[in-house]
Amino acid sequence: MRDLKHLLYFENLLQTSNNELIRQAQSEGKICVAYVCENTPEPLMDIGNAFAIRLSAPNTGSMDIATYYMTNLLCETSRALLERAIEGGFNFADCIVAPDGCTMINRCVENMELLKTMGAGKEQYFTQFMEIPLKDDDNGVELLKLQCKNHILDPLKERYGIDTSDAAIRKAVEEHNRVCRVIRAIGDFRREERPRITGYEFHVLTLATYLCPKYLIIDKLEETLEELKTREPDDKDYRARLMIVGSEIDDSGLIKLVEESGAYVCCDRFCFGSLPGRNPIELNDVEDALTQVCRHYVRSCQCPRMMNMEKVYGRKKYVSDLAKEYRADGIIYEQVKFCDPWAYERFSGSVMLRDDYGFPVLSVDRPYNISSSVGQMRTRVQAFVESIEIKKIQGGTK
Amino acid sequence: MATVFNPKERKGDKELGALYSDKLRVRKRREWRGIKDTAYDYSRWLYLWSIMVRVSMSKGFVKGLFRYRWMSNYLFVPHMLDKFTIGLRDEPLRITHTAMDFVVYDVAESIKNCMRGDRRIGNDVKFSENCVLCDENAMTAFMMGFPTVKATLREVPTMFSANLLNQYSTTHYLDVAQQFGLPGDVCPMPEAEVGISIDDDFPVLGKCAVQVNTTCDGSLLGNGVIAKRLEREYGIPTFQLVAPMRHKEEDVQKYAAEDIKSAIAFIEKQMGVKWDWDAYFECAKRVNQTTRDRLQWLEINSTNYPQFVGAVFSLYNDTNYMGNCGRSADFPPINEKLNKLIMRGYEKKTMMAKEYRHRCIVWGVQPQYCIDMLYWMIQCWGVVPLTDMLSMVIDREIAETDTPENREQAYYDMAWLNENMIMRNRTHGGYKVLVDELWEFCEKMNADMVMMWEHMSCKALCGMHGQFEEQARERGIKLVWVSHDLCDPRVYTRNAIRGQFSAFMRTVMREEPLDPSIEVLPDDDNAL
Repeated sequence: MRDLKHLLYFENLLQTSNNELIRQAQSEGKICVAYVCENTPEPLMDIGNAFAIRLSAPNTGSMDIATYYMTNLLCETSRALLERAIEGGFNFADCIVAPDGCTMINRCVENMELLKTMGAGKEQYFTQFMEIPLKDDDNGVELLKLQCKNHILDPLKERYGIDTSDAAIRKAVEEHNRVCRVIRAIGDFRREERPRITGYEFHVLTLATYLCPKYLIIDKLEETLEELKTREPDDKDYRARLMIVGSEIDDSGLIKLVEESGAYVCCDRFCFGSLPGRNPIELNDVEDALTQVCRHYVRSCQCPRMMNMEKVYGRKKYVSDLAKEYRADGIIYEQVKFCDPWAYERFSGSVMLRDDYGFPVLSVDRPYNISSSVGQMRTRVQAFVESIEIKKIQGGTK
Repeated sequence: MATVFNPKERKGDKELGALYSDKLRVRKRREWRGIKDTAYDYSRWLYLWSIMVRVSMSKGFVKGLFRYRWMSNYLFVPHMLDKFTIGLRDEPLRITHTAMDFVVYDVAESIKNCMRGDRRIGNDVKFSENCVLCDENAMTAFMMGFPTVKATLREVPTMFSANLLNQYSTTHYLDVAQQFGLPGDVCPMPEAEVGISIDDDFPVLGKCAVQVNTTCDGSLLGNGVIAKRLEREYGIPTFQLVAPMRHKEEDVQKYAAEDIKSAIAFIEKQMGVKWDWDAYFECAKRVNQTTRDRLQWLEINSTNYPQFVGAVFSLYNDTNYMGNCGRSADFPPINEKLNKLIMRGYEKKTMMAKEYRHRCIVWGVQPQYCIDMLYWMIQCWGVVPLTDMLSMVIDREIAETDTPENREQAYYDMAWLNENMIMRNRTHGGYKVLVDELWEFCEKMNADMVMMWEHMSCKALCGMHGQFEEQARERGIKLVWVSHDLCDPRVYTRNAIRGQFSAFMRTVMREEPLDPSIEVLPDDDNAL
């Protein structure tokens, strides 16, 4: 296929934590709200004069200092982020909001705070830890509302004078939805028999929406959507269509690696992915916007930490439904090494998706930065793709 | 600290290594403690056997022995007690026995009830229908107002206490879970519970179940696997009770209290019983008494003559707060007895070893399979464990008078108890409760040393490794890391655990053992 016009631009933005668009937004007087967990309602941080940036640590190499502080038994994401913070890589942030989503990311941000890794020279800088619900119910929605008010909206208003009114939230949701709709529309092309966008390209675009100020990339995203409408897909068959489920993937190299084995990544269901992360938030005029945003996050949450059994079963059904919708031949359940929530979800999900829903499943753990383990991962993916291919040749017989 | 010397010479065995043998699984002989203490110790040993015999004769026990691989571990309870009483004389010996007798009795009752109600063994349907399966990691506060319903903690006999008796009791279940695809780097305790569930080795009983997210991410996630089997295979509806992570914050308490209400409503609906406020406030009084007693014991441990220490202190608190949570009227008299013994020991300045060289606070999560380590520290190195993280549980009292306001407050109190479950009240809630308060306890209890259990799969603890290290150095507190893997002795053996402590004492503290005969024990490959 012909290269996407802005792909290189987006790829370059993902090469550093403090990318040029963050610098541009701050030079325009905007406030950067850093966050680390997808359960934090994004529009509430993309509000008024503030913009939300999800922290990531691209091109992570050594994590020695973070390993001293947190041992080598904590997940590589939390260590990579702490290492980057200690190196001064997140000093651009004007504040950080950290839900107690999982223990490791919580400890990561606590270490950032204790080591004073961020906020140098920023008088109004703050760190906020917040509680997020563990169950999908009205009680959880009420909790999230209160937490968002106390730990996001009020501090932003008090420290930076950000307008956090209902009208401001509605405007933020509108802008958020504009990005979501574009990403979902682009993602829908992945359902095609001969898709006009690769899984890798889609991941780069999606990741950019988390790591860059949205208002500075929306025009290029919309232009890319237009470009895709007339893009000619490659005249080739993929060996297998795969769905990826699991921990956050900050390194698009992993998707590329899967696709280099002849597979096509047709669907994403991982932290900071497009499903359900880029589902638009539908607001009505009857209820206040904050309640509706919080309800959206609680109801659509697919995080393994949601512990009520409706959610536990629902997560697997959601994966199965998506896999059918996007015509996946197989599912890769992945987790960043030492991630407890996804370790259990990968284990139970891979068993249930195989036994109860009949999908071939590859279950793997991986490093934060895939370049440190390319060979192992490639071998496993190739073997998985081959096994699906053989099943296809044999007409589905075992 | 200045070394405190024991003016009294220890009666009986002086070198405790003489009790061990390379060839035998148990000790060569019982410890000689002088006539009076040996007779007392022997009488308690017989009492333990009487509990064991009574349980063995209960309905379904023998059948259970053949059905469940974890059951036979209970034959070794007396051996566990011998490990807890090593070198002890006078009041500390009696304190340990008094507390443990009741803990053993409690676990024995639990086994008896599990076998009675188990669909595969006793199959007493009426009894089973009156049981609520409660997560072993729950403060069973939500059962305080259900006096006629039996709270059954089936993980306690199957996993938790079995591992205190036989260090290999969980390894099979860990292997089962890992064969199913669960990574080996998660905490082995919930992992073993998942393995037991996959292996279908839990007794199956109860009308409904309540699970909590209290301990850690692993425990929370493991519950889902267990609940799936309970619900789908055995038709036992399961409620997930939430305990907020940031339990010190005011703005999470309503959330927690509301979920307690939901849990109570769930039990009422499933069991067809009504919440009893009279029973609740009776239990609340007992919980408060437990808190007052424990704080008094800690006061005495802050002096030069600590009396109630070690794993037994922790296990007793564990049983009293979590498994019991004020529901049993049997505990207050035991507390009374302990109070008297502790006060008497303090007044008489009774010591457990010939000298106390260091006053140590034990932090982190202790290994199940090396649970007698703290007694070994006293006897081998003269290091007194003043308290441990698991015993530093709640310190405020809950509403205990039945008034309309207190009925609403009660939901908050139960939620607060649940949030402050043993261990998780330190491992969750931010670094203040885990790191900052440790230094406050060091100061308050006049400790010069901290032993940090580094349970290698405990992410909450490991995540603060560097902070502990740096802050201890800043404060001039000697901090020794002792790594282990909670219930998998294949990762760290018992001697590897003790060896880390001994190496620290020699190389950093430049000391030699008080009793070199027990520095290395022949129990690495020994199940018991």
